[in-house]
Amino acid sequence: MTTTSTTRGRRRAPSRMQRAAGKAAALQKPRVILALLVLLGLTSVMLLDGYLRAEVGGDQRVRTGAGSSKVPDKVLDGGPILTFRGDRATTVSVPKKTIALTFDDGPNPTYTPQVLKILKKYDVPATFFLVGSMVSRYPGIVKDMVGQGDEVGIHTFTHVDLSYQSNARVDREMKQTQLALAGAAGITTTLFRAPYSSETDAIDNYSWPVYKRLGQEGYTSVFVDTDSDDWKKPGVSKIVDWATPKGTSGAAVLMHDAGGDREQTIKALPKYIEKMKAKGYTFTTISGVMEKQNTGSGRAVTGAAAALRPGGSVPNGPQARGVSVTGGLQAAQHKATGATLYEGKALIVAVAVAEYALPVLSVGLMVVGVAVMGRFGMMVVLARRHYRQRNKRRFSWGPPVTRPVSVIVPAYNEKECIANTLESLSRSTHPIEVIVVDDGSTDGTSEIAREAANALGMTNVRVIRQENAGKPAALNHGVRSASCDIVVMMDGDTVFEPDTVRHLVQPFADPEVGAVAGNAKVGNRNTLIGAWQHIEYVMGFNLDRRMYDLLRCMPTIPGAIGAFRREAVLQVGGMSEDTLAEDTDITIAMHRAGWRVVYQEHARAWTEAPGSLKQLWSQRYRWSYGTMQALWKHRKSLTDKGPSGRFGRVGMPLVVIFQIVTPVCAPLIDVFTAYSMIFVDFTAALLAWLAVLAIQLVCAAYAFRLDREKYRYLLMMPLQQLAYRQMMYLVLIHSCITALTGGRLRWQKLKRTGEVGTPAGVG
Amino acid sequence: MFVDNSGRRSKLLRRIGLLAGVLCLGYAVVLGLAFMGIGTATPSSLLPFAGGGPAGVRNSGPRGTEPPGGFGTPPARPTGTPLTGAPTGTRPSS
Repeated sequence: MTTTSTTRGRRRAPSRMQRAAGKAAALQKPRVILALLVLLGLTSVMLLDGYLRAEVGGDQRVRTGAGSSKVPDKVLDGGPILTFRGDRATTVSVPKKTIALTFDDGPNPTYTPQVLKILKKYDVPATFFLVGSMVSRYPGIVKDMVGQGDEVGIHTFTHVDLSYQSNARVDREMKQTQLALAGAAGITTTLFRAPYSSETDAIDNYSWPVYKRLGQEGYTSVFVDTDSDDWKKPGVSKIVDWATPKGTSGAAVLMHDAGGDREQTIKALPKYIEKMKAKGYTFTTISGVMEKQNTGSGRAVTGAAAALRPGGSVPNGPQARGVSVTGGLQAAQHKATGATLYEGKALIVAVAVAEYALPVLSVGLMVVGVAVMGRFGMMVVLARRHYRQRNKRRFSWGPPVTRPVSVIVPAYNEKECIANTLESLSRSTHPIEVIVVDDGSTDGTSEIAREAANALGMTNVRVIRQENAGKPAALNHGVRSASCDIVVMMDGDTVFEPDTVRHLVQPFADPEVGAVAGNAKVGNRNTLIGAWQHIEYVMGFNLDRRMYDLLRCMPTIPGAIGAFRREAVLQVGGMSEDTLAEDTDITIAMHRAGWRVVYQEHARAWTEAPGSLKQLWSQRYRWSYGTMQALWKHRKSLTDKGPSGRFGRVGMPLVVIFQIVTPVCAPLIDVFTAYSMIFVDFTAALLAWLAVLAIQLVCAAYAFRLDREKYRYLLMMPLQQLAYRQMMYLVLIHSCITALTGGRLRWQKLKRTGEVGTPAGVG
Repeated sequence: MFVDNSGRRSKLLRRIGLLAGVLCLGYAVVLGLAFMGIGTATPSSLLPFAGGGPAGVRNSGPRGTEPPGGFGTPPARPTGTPLTGAPTGTRPSS
């Protein structure tokens, strides 16, 4: 952000405009744009899927009991085919001894192909009124249909009662279905049948205007003479019966090839066709009926009869696509060309993408869900076991460890905190040797440390100064200078309790133990961010650490409080600078060398957590990037033998799943939840989210109980789910991308304020 | 670990990211257009399926593009009669 200087030369804070400009600039960063576009793509996929399944924008209303006073009598009493010329409505009836078979609600992947097979077997054409959402999902069936010589008409896109819809929606339903047909079979159609319609005498005052409007646009509305009512599943013989018209009348017959269990329809159809053929009936399509009525004869129209004769006067507008497909029986269809065709095909592809993508995403969501729930379950069970084991009265690691240990304090510009740290160490109940390693500080840390040590009367403090070389180098220097065989590593701003070191080093009585992780606590927990981190430390770190301890795969000993056998550290080569998370690095190295790493819950250390969002982001960015570096560095352990292999094949996968894969997929949970809440069922989605929150609260409460922490901080937990969690997975994704692109990270230093001390009443 | 000073990986990933972004945008655009029904014509701008009938065939849409007469004229009917009259300004007023 820029600052401007006044004539007096003072700096001004950035104005509101400048801050807004800064934010706008941040939003334009390519990765933000990409993230937003991916989110847009994901949302589009989900919305499309919801729309196709009538979860989004569905309308189940069906109109009943309306009057028909405004509908012209000749329409109410007329035939089932309704066309318009201008304002004039004309109806056409089906001629005698002719059946126009019509199927509604298709295409369906199970039944429609069977219907097509039967029709082909008996060489009988039919007219299918297709629902656009099904056309886009099963385009191949429609292509076969048209190829076989059957006719198609529109049955809206989402099967809504059009009398309830606005003009705009009616238009959209028709146009969307045309696009779907164009993409699926390269045609558009002028035939239409409204959902929930039946005979012409059932047209009411609300649907009549819809038919009029569509008719004036050029659509031919098709109704029903004889309803087989096959959707009621009354039995095969009843279906055949009800579909048979009286005497020798012709009829447009309604059957369904989709929308439920149509087994009876499939069985009834051959019987019906044979029965009517035996009575001397012929079968045709709606266009075939129109054709017959035009010729005024009963001749069935076949094949390529009535193609367009341009006569040299093809309309020269941009919509010059009046070529009928194969003539007579499919005369209502036109070949789709140009924009319609391409857009239709693009739509079909888009639907196919959504149909594949959504199951994949759902599987991802389920994997994450199972992992998260599994982790909770394991954590609670194993934490309980760990607690009971370690706190049994008769439990002990071995003979008590009483020999002195070295405490290494790496410090870089810690002038605010170093005095506190040393004071806390001065009250240690265990004999210690303190080695302060000043990593080239520029604020007089060394001097302050020496003064503090003198003031406190500490004689066991050595202050070593080195040129600025980073924390790993400082720690290594300290380890090399240490004279005891056990070293405790802490941060320059960590504050110990008097008992901390004693508790921390007791596990070394067990010769298998190579390193011990202590219990790091957040001191500045009374701010919102502090409280969130406090919950995270108690639950996420300590509960997790108990589980990892028992599973022998603890990935990280906190830099704020950890103890190592000096020989073990030197054996694995000391702290390494290969990664940004040297604590994770050395812990994994310990595992691979065969040492046991345990968690000592009673060794408490108080640390200052980042107080601002920016610092927190920086810290977690470094941690997640560093963890990935460390895991990658030790990837060979997957195929190693011995203890290294054990860690590589058991510990590492657990860590990868719980600390990388699950958080990376966590956004899916939020996206699906938001989608379900907005578009599917608000209450159910909210309840599910609250249930997950409740489970987390229970686990967190258990963690708090094990650590004897005050429960009131848990009040922050719901809010934590809404903001903190999202931030954490954004950080992780950010660090993944950085790792992939091979960029270089800056080491960011926490702004120290020196406000953390042990709480009053302790020690 | 992970640091790639040559910048090759980042260039490749940048390209992949660009492709992904364009695909997502295109996807949303296609769906938006299809949803609004933009890019498809109503049947009146196509030659309509005229109901035939002795009144002769005329374009029935109120918008009325140049009608050469309908198709669907059955072969038995002489082609001359309906076609010649139509284009000369008999737009139906509606």
